[in-house]
Amino acid sequence: MFEKVLFGGKREQQVIEDIKRHIEILHAASGCFRKALAENDKQQLYCIADLEREADSIRREIISKVYEGAFLPYLRSNLVRFVEIVEGVFDLLKDAAYAFEFLDQTLDKEISGECVEIADKNLKMSELLLIAFETLFGKEDLREKTLAIRIYEKQVDEIKHDLIRKLSEKEVKNFWRGKMLSDFVDSLTRISNVIEDASDYLVIINVSLR
Amino acid sequence: MTELIPLAACILIAFGIGSNDTSNALGICIGCGVIRLQKALLLFGCFVLLGIMIQGQRVMETVGKDLLEVNVPIMSTALSISALLIIVSNWKRLPLSTHQVIIGSLIGAGVSSGAEVSYRALIEIVISWVVSPLAAFATALAIYKAMEMTISRLALFPLEKVLRILLLLSGILISYNTGANELATIVGPVIHAGMIARTPASLAGSLFVFLGAVLLSKRVIETIGKGITTLDPYSGFAAQFGAGVCVLFFTSLGMPISTTYCIIGGISGVGMSKGIKTVRMGLVRKIIANWFLAPTLAFLGSALIMRLIS
Repeated sequence: MFEKVLFGGKREQQVIEDIKRHIEILHAASGCFRKALAENDKQQLYCIADLEREADSIRREIISKVYEGAFLPYLRSNLVRFVEIVEGVFDLLKDAAYAFEFLDQTLDKEISGECVEIADKNLKMSELLLIAFETLFGKEDLREKTLAIRIYEKQVDEIKHDLIRKLSEKEVKNFWRGKMLSDFVDSLTRISNVIEDASDYLVIINVSLR
Repeated sequence: MTELIPLAACILIAFGIGSNDTSNALGICIGCGVIRLQKALLLFGCFVLLGIMIQGQRVMETVGKDLLEVNVPIMSTALSISALLIIVSNWKRLPLSTHQVIIGSLIGAGVSSGAEVSYRALIEIVISWVVSPLAAFATALAIYKAMEMTISRLALFPLEKVLRILLLLSGILISYNTGANELATIVGPVIHAGMIARTPASLAGSLFVFLGAVLLSKRVIETIGKGITTLDPYSGFAAQFGAGVCVLFFTSLGMPISTTYCIIGGISGVGMSKGIKTVRMGLVRKIIANWFLAPTLAFLGSALIMRLIS
């Protein structure tokens, strides 16, 4: 009993490890997506669905362990909410991959550069999210990490405006191609928003016990 | 045969303490999942016994010897009225303090039967009733400020672990005080009337508190536990530990004081650190009214019954 109280129970350790693993998978999925986009290779997108399935099962594990009583009650709902926000990033990655896969052609040269740049920034943001989560154990400043995430998000916003301007100038020859392209850009550019939401939620978690 | 009346009343009151006050001590820990119910009950029982065995003597002397010379008729009346008032207050959900009811009943029965009451001891007790919630207020506020300057700077997960340990320590302290102060107030008169020796009285008292906790505390704890999910454990610890330290201090002076009133003082102290508007003054007025009501009712009830018996 005292071991549990003094050093934190196994359940708490497992939840922490699972959350880390969940974010690591997000980083892996973001990397996989970026590579597929940079190489214009739709075959590589299959890894996203596999990683999303793995992340989904980890998310379920985390939620069940938290509701079995891991951590103080004040922390439980916030941790679950954080994991659900990260899950939202997986959904957007999956949607973007799905739309990219169903584009009948590869990305046009005018916009592919911006798309790869956004995917690259999403990858860096997911890495920063993991580092930000790890600051909850040590003395490093969480605000620095969340600030870096916010800066990346602002950069993605700027690229998004250029991208939308270029897209609006393009002629839409086919409804489904237009829709898929629009869905793809929409999902791709929303990923950074949701990662920023997740990092903001880490700040809330960090102050919730104080 | 009449000697059985105060003993039976003591058993009833001890049983009542077990059923109601376990939540005071370990409700937060159970609600937060720091400790499971069965382990909490065992821990509560052990520390109640330790409290009365190690530090119960002073409070027993104050209530059973210094306040007035107790005899069987005084105790039969006072403890029966106390048991009745405590049962009715629990049933009607009126938060009456066990200490105030017992002291009020003893004084009522003593004055009515012409026994010599030490007004000096009574004044000291009443002063401690006034000072203890205020001291708990100040202690909790100081603990809260100290926590802000120390453990608040820890990273989140280490802070969570520290809070778990502190919550358990605080629960243990309140359990200890329940034995050293609350149970000592109940068994003090019967011990000093020579009806039962100190060690068997302490063992039996602790046993009945434990039985009350095992048989009847679960629902109260569940209610507290559900309420605790929205309670901030950080402030909760400062309030509870501040109250615990305060009760321990008054116990060492031999003063029978209410843990509940000290916890209320502690909560108000923590609330005050966030501004006076966070303290619900309507509720404070109600608590002050009960503070006067409990000893007055007990005094009048005991005095009346004693007069009728005489």
